[in-house]
Amino acid sequence: MSDVAAKPVVSAWTRRRLRLSRLVPYLLLQALIVIACVLMLRLVPPDDPDDYAVSEFSLVEDGATRSVTLPHFTSSRYSLADPPIYAGTFTRAPGDAKTAWSVFLPRFSNAVEVAVNGVVVLDSRRDDTANRPDRNTPQIVVIPSSLLRDGSNQITLRLFVWGPLKGFLDTVYVGPDDKLRDAYDTRALLFVTVPVVLSAWQSLLAVILAIMWLMRRREPVYGVLALGMLVGAVQAFVPPPVPPAPYPRIAAILLASAPIESALVVVFAVLFFGWRWPRLGLLIFAPGLTIFMVGLFASQPLPRIVFLFLGVPTVGVCLMLLAIIVTRAVIKRQDAASFVFGCAVTIVLTCWFHDMLQVFEIIQDERTFVTRLSYSAMLVAIGAGLTWRFARALNQVDSFAGQLVTRVREAEERLKASFVREEERARAAALANERTRLMRDLHDGLGGQLISIVALSERGNTGATITDAARAALKDLRLVIDSMDDIGGDLMLALGSWRERAAAQLRPHDIALDWRVTSPQGLPLHPELRPWHVIQIVRILDEAVTNAVKHASARHIKVTIETLDGGPDGPYGVISIEDDGKGFALAVNGADNGEALAAGLAARGLRNMKSRAARCGAALDIGSGPTGTSVRLQLPQRFPDNDAASR
Amino acid sequence: MTDQGETADTITILLVEDDAPTCWRLQDALVKAGYEVRTAGTLGQARNTLDDAAPRVLLTDLRLPDGHGIELIRETRRRFPDTEIMVISALGDEESVISAITVGATGYLLKDAFPTDIATTVRDLVAGHSPISASIARFIVRRTQTSAEPPPGPALNTAKLTPREIDILWGIAKGFSYAEIASHLGLSRQTVPGHIKNIYRKLEVHTRSEAVFEAVQQGLIKL
Repeated sequence: MSDVAAKPVVSAWTRRRLRLSRLVPYLLLQALIVIACVLMLRLVPPDDPDDYAVSEFSLVEDGATRSVTLPHFTSSRYSLADPPIYAGTFTRAPGDAKTAWSVFLPRFSNAVEVAVNGVVVLDSRRDDTANRPDRNTPQIVVIPSSLLRDGSNQITLRLFVWGPLKGFLDTVYVGPDDKLRDAYDTRALLFVTVPVVLSAWQSLLAVILAIMWLMRRREPVYGVLALGMLVGAVQAFVPPPVPPAPYPRIAAILLASAPIESALVVVFAVLFFGWRWPRLGLLIFAPGLTIFMVGLFASQPLPRIVFLFLGVPTVGVCLMLLAIIVTRAVIKRQDAASFVFGCAVTIVLTCWFHDMLQVFEIIQDERTFVTRLSYSAMLVAIGAGLTWRFARALNQVDSFAGQLVTRVREAEERLKASFVREEERARAAALANERTRLMRDLHDGLGGQLISIVALSERGNTGATITDAARAALKDLRLVIDSMDDIGGDLMLALGSWRERAAAQLRPHDIALDWRVTSPQGLPLHPELRPWHVIQIVRILDEAVTNAVKHASARHIKVTIETLDGGPDGPYGVISIEDDGKGFALAVNGADNGEALAAGLAARGLRNMKSRAARCGAALDIGSGPTGTSVRLQLPQRFPDNDAASR
Repeated sequence: MTDQGETADTITILLVEDDAPTCWRLQDALVKAGYEVRTAGTLGQARNTLDDAAPRVLLTDLRLPDGHGIELIRETRRRFPDTEIMVISALGDEESVISAITVGATGYLLKDAFPTDIATTVRDLVAGHSPISASIARFIVRRTQTSAEPPPGPALNTAKLTPREIDILWGIAKGFSYAEIASHLGLSRQTVPGHIKNIYRKLEVHTRSEAVFEAVQQGLIKL
């Protein structure tokens, strides 16, 4: 009892140690990833051409004018009617008149209108992606050369801000286009092209997952993830909730996509890593749905405010839940999928913290939001995990098929073995049966004859009797050997051999054997014919011939083999043996001793013949008179399977 | 019946049988019929006797103390193609009779046959007949028909048998007389023994056994 109780304690402790030994390296690795992410974020923001920076501006905001240095935050506002206006100057050297000049805006939120010398050259509100605060889209525009003057030029920027985030304007660069273009290209690649690629990959993933789910409805995990990917892709490609958008309300609804998408990914992780779904688990969708409802019924800017205070934290909570789920999966399963997924979650979570710190201006950076960008790590991990799982499933199918083949083969072998055993048993049984019959036959015939030889030689009897007995014994031996031959149900084959033996037996007595077969094919075939049937029939014929030789003093024996029509059950054969002797009835009435003995033997012989005929279902008629004896053996249409009944 | 040997040239018989009483019995029957009989109890003795002079007929048992009668039959057939060879068999089992025929024997004699039958069989043999029994005929046909799985025992070139010859063998196996077989098959009575002789020739094939012997001598094949 105590042993049983003690065991789980030990195993629980061991399990805990095992878990710890797996958890610690994993957490250390995640810490390394966080450090790497932070370093990357510090290093990655591209260098801008500082030579052409314009950062001294006068800001007209709420009617007041003050001087500011870019990058600059303005207070958040919800009306676009009176945007803050930044006015600044830049100088073009006279020698630069030949080259094209551009204005390059690396980062701004939410939208900007740029005028040079009073003429508007750029309005970012026309570019959907440029107005998304989470996208960090840069802008560049070439200033028409007619607008530019040598020496001092004026640049005016109107910053459109829609809350709840504060407006932000990074340093503005004005200079020769070729000098600014590289910096713009770098930013465009990082913040425009890469997100498009990412969104395309996400759409593709959505399609693949949807197909998977359609083909395997029993696994909702793929359906959930497909839905999540779909929400993300729609959110990426549908125009953002910019105030002049044609359907501001529908656009506002899309704000709910981020928390819903992250909640769906959490659901996916729970299902994928085999957790039991918690009872209140669906609460995770509550913030997203709240934003959705608000977006549906309230007008701007309320949905945005709700999004900032409900949606963004939800994303963070989801990421942390993911981290917990995946960490547990890593400890429990130790597989590649959960490991890769865990690293991706750590990257996204780090980036999310980075963005949060920027939103709350705890770190004063360029206000570059990277959560969306880092999300690609998660998508790659998901793709990799699915592929890994798919490949593993294929391997399992393969090995399962292999096992199945092996098992089928084993079953086959067993079946074969048991079949062989069964066959052997049947053969042994048949052999034993055959042996019993053979024994009986040898006992009846050969045995008796050999004993009589022994008896005769002991009495010193040297005459013909020993010869006869020995000859009879040999004949019987040949008969038994012959009857074991497979004659395929054709009794004629056995009769053919018997004819030769009978002829040889009759020749020394100068008795003629008249052999008549009335039909060319002889007797009907009997597929059910067995060796013991043949023995009985041949013995009957032997007995008849022996009687004719020994007791009837016949000169002529006629054997007739005919086939008669037996009606619906088919034809039947009749074998008749007639002799021209004096008949054994006379012998029975004979007076002297020798003849009485012979008569007794003949009577026993007749009894034997009748019982043999009965055993194989044949009818035996014996007629005897002074002119001869006739034995008529009428064969059955079908030989009986078993002779036990007739005994 | 006994006059047969006196009218013709004296027919010499070599009788090879290791069981003395059996040997006496057969010798008595043959001598009585007028044949000149020499006897041998072993393979070695038989070979010695053969070296002296070729007998007209060789009667040999198969199981001999110092070897198998098959060897003796093969040698005799090779050395003395004109000698008639007959196997002495206790039970007339098909397997040994057929293997003897394939190396050159022309018939077989049962050890317990009546003396008259022994003399008759030898006389028929010398006269050129080829007696065939029902069970041997059946055995030959079986071998011919079930050639799909090669049976254990001597290989027969029975595939060369014509359908007509096989029909005749079936008839014999079923105990029909030559006359009955002839009438069933629409042949004349005299052609049936001719066919049977052909069957025997095909089974014994002197030239083939010689070829086989040569091949064995030269180490080309192993028997």
